Amino acid sequence: MDFFRISTAFMALISLVLIAGLFAFLVLQSAPVLAGQQWSFLLGQDWWAGEVYGALPMIYGSLMVTGVALVMVLPVAIGGAVFTSEFLSPNQRLWVKAMMELFAGIPGIIYGLLGVALLAGWVKDSFGLIDGNTILTAGLLLGIMILPTILTLSEDALHAVPGQYRDTSLSLGLTKLQMIKSAVIPVALPGIAGAIFLGLGRAMGETIAVMLVIGGLDKIAEPWYDLFAPAQSIASKLGREAAEAIGSGQQWSALMALGLILFLLVMILTFMGNLLLKRVR
Amino acid sequence: MKKSFFISLSATVLWLLTGIAYSPNGNAEEKASRITVVGSTTVLPIATRAAEKFVEKKNGGISITVNGGGSGVGIQSAGSGRADIGMASRNITPRERKRFQNPGLRVLPVGRDAVVCVISSEVYSAGVQALSKEQIGDIYLGKIKNWQELGGPDREIVVIDKERHRGTRHVFMKYVFGNENARTPGARLVTGSNNEEQTKIAQSDSAIGMLSLAWINDDVVGVGIREGDEIIEPTLENVRRNRFPIARDLNLIVAGEPLGRVKEFVEFMLGPEGQNIVAESGYIPVHPN
Amino acid sequence: MSQEELLEKFVRGFLGILSLLAISLLLLILGAVFWQGAPAIDWEFLTQASSDFGASGGILYQTAGTLILMTGAVAVALPVALGTALFQTEYLKSDRLKKISRNLFYSLNGMPTILFGLVGYMVFGVYLEAGVSWLTGTLILAVMILPTLQVSFQQAVEALPEKYRDAGMALGLSPVAMTCSIIIPQSLFGIITGVLLGLARAAGETAAIMFTATTFSGVLLPRTWTDPVPTLQTHILVLAQEALNPKAVAQAWGAGLVLLSLTFILIAGALFCRSRMRMESER
Repeated sequence: MDFFRISTAFMALISLVLIAGLFAFLVLQSAPVLAGQQWSFLLGQDWWAGEVYGALPMIYGSLMVTGVALVMVLPVAIGGAVFTSEFLSPNQRLWVKAMMELFAGIPGIIYGLLGVALLAGWVKDSFGLIDGNTILTAGLLLGIMILPTILTLSEDALHAVPGQYRDTSLSLGLTKLQMIKSAVIPVALPGIAGAIFLGLGRAMGETIAVMLVIGGLDKIAEPWYDLFAPAQSIASKLGREAAEAIGSGQQWSALMALGLILFLLVMILTFMGNLLLKRVR
Repeated sequence: MKKSFFISLSATVLWLLTGIAYSPNGNAEEKASRITVVGSTTVLPIATRAAEKFVEKKNGGISITVNGGGSGVGIQSAGSGRADIGMASRNITPRERKRFQNPGLRVLPVGRDAVVCVISSEVYSAGVQALSKEQIGDIYLGKIKNWQELGGPDREIVVIDKERHRGTRHVFMKYVFGNENARTPGARLVTGSNNEEQTKIAQSDSAIGMLSLAWINDDVVGVGIREGDEIIEPTLENVRRNRFPIARDLNLIVAGEPLGRVKEFVEFMLGPEGQNIVAESGYIPVHPN
Repeated sequence: MSQEELLEKFVRGFLGILSLLAISLLLLILGAVFWQGAPAIDWEFLTQASSDFGASGGILYQTAGTLILMTGAVAVALPVALGTALFQTEYLKSDRLKKISRNLFYSLNGMPTILFGLVGYMVFGVYLEAGVSWLTGTLILAVMILPTLQVSFQQAVEALPEKYRDAGMALGLSPVAMTCSIIIPQSLFGIITGVLLGLARAAGETAAIMFTATTFSGVLLPRTWTDPVPTLQTHILVLAQEALNPKAVAQAWGAGLVLLSLTFILIAGALFCRSRMRMESER
């Protein structure tokens, strides 16, 4: 039982305590509102501080912007990943990977600034809208934001497909395209799905960039698939309203309950993502 | 393994406890050398300028941080002790008063301001130069959707609301609907600070919103308020003469009796130098020199 | 040319265009920030305090605040992350536990940062009474970057060739001596990689610190534990909402370019160190 062992174990324990603590804290703090409103918290469409708290518009907003981001980014990210892994020389590949890693580090506030100063105006003018703060604007920003993550992680998955699969297919007389289609992609598919889940988790948790361009309206658009309508995501709601209620009261409890929902959603996405990516790592 | 787990568990608990015991509480002297001011972005320019002057006068030795967030944040921060002084461009609601009845919130008005109904300059120059309370109400309720119905250009109205706790919203809604918490189903955007709202209105060519008097300019124009046959223009002069209908106090909020440096700073803002700053910032001093 | 060859050419071209699109989108972003930000940057901008509600002057103290928060965060997270990584590689024998803890760290890595901000403020700011201060911000960011550091460290230590360990064992080194004289020096590039990535992540974070650690004005450099600091991130956040004032927007872009350069330098450094690490372990 040496000192070294104890101190490293102690450090390891801190990390454990942190995650468990975060979850426990969110549960405890959101208990009052969840006990008071029960299902009407989750399904309510009306959020009016001091009276009633309905989380549905925010859940809807989070799912919508993440969904838009996914649709926008998927072809580009997967196409780019296949091209990088299958058609580029090892050296070129490393360059692309390095660039993606750099791009993945662009701070959220930079996207926010771009969104406010350039993208919102562009969306407004090019779609002839009355205002540029929409689900589409937020989704576009998020899409660009998670592009490097999805591209580089799904490229890892494709690249990790063992050479024997390729060799076998080629020796069977398949062309390169057929090989990619029937041998490489199917094997890498779980990994690609994992990459997508991780990217979505990141998009859903992004606060600043979304907060500045989504419009801040706690309402489900009519019709619900109207991408040109303003909305509110869970993260942006927290970013905008937390300072007003911090620490106590029913409103804080309601915000913590929103936080709990976000925590669980992101946790599921990241967990699935990591599970699927495991064989790659 | 079990034993090592147990030992590290107790070590963690011990570490956390020492952390709590030795947490940097800041001794009394440290606390007194910094004043934190948080809240309404309408009061923010006054407080920031006053803070600069006050610190200069004290030759350092004190620092004053001034941050925005909105009236609700200001009242919440002062009440919960997160800030020494809260800024609010509205009165304290009964709910807030009840929440912080201990130690009790003190409201100190430092200036007067008006909330102005503002519209994009394009709409103003196209002919919409005054609106009645009922017309504004119908716009915010979503009953009037196009400027054409009000004699303006054929453009859909971008209705800009503010976050619920914001002072400007309370005062504006109180005038329009008689209820500071009125709901606005016609709203298209919800903004926060005066700056944010001003920007969104200016970027649009068909927006309506609410702003402090000091924020109106060539891009965001204040419309006259029509009451009966009379049109009251949003000017400092009309506010000073108590003619403009949507006026309000700009307040500092302190929990309990202000003491020490906080008291000095509040007195500075209410004194001649502070009141000059209120006037320079585009508001009306409460103690005219 | 056969039909298949034609098809392959076509698909290849199509995928190439998609990749090009990805890269050019991101380059477009860099270009926009550079284009808008470069005119604001000169010596005065980097070395002066801001004034006139951020619309003029420079960003000296905002930069200082960002540097203070990020280095503080790494200083706090470093021992914890290193200890955790070593415990896992040196002591944790159960694969099950290893798997669980790895999953925990990956999950922590994906957590929305705003949650760290809110919960962290309640814990450090309210219960530990550090208030809205650089200390609170540092601790919150430390928790946030913990997995970044830990994962990098663990990968570095696990990548050590067995022969080093064997040599240490043969010399009869104790675990402490082995760690200090073999494991840490030999995985140094990996550790630096993790540190640089952690710094970059902390430097780019806004949501977690915007109402827990920062002030827009009133404090230049913290003098006590409980002073807030101005930071580049929150400076940009405030100025970005003032798009009507061209001077404020120009300052925001300038600050954005400085922040972006800072994170890019850190990440590029990390990439460089990682490639060194690979080279060392392949030797």
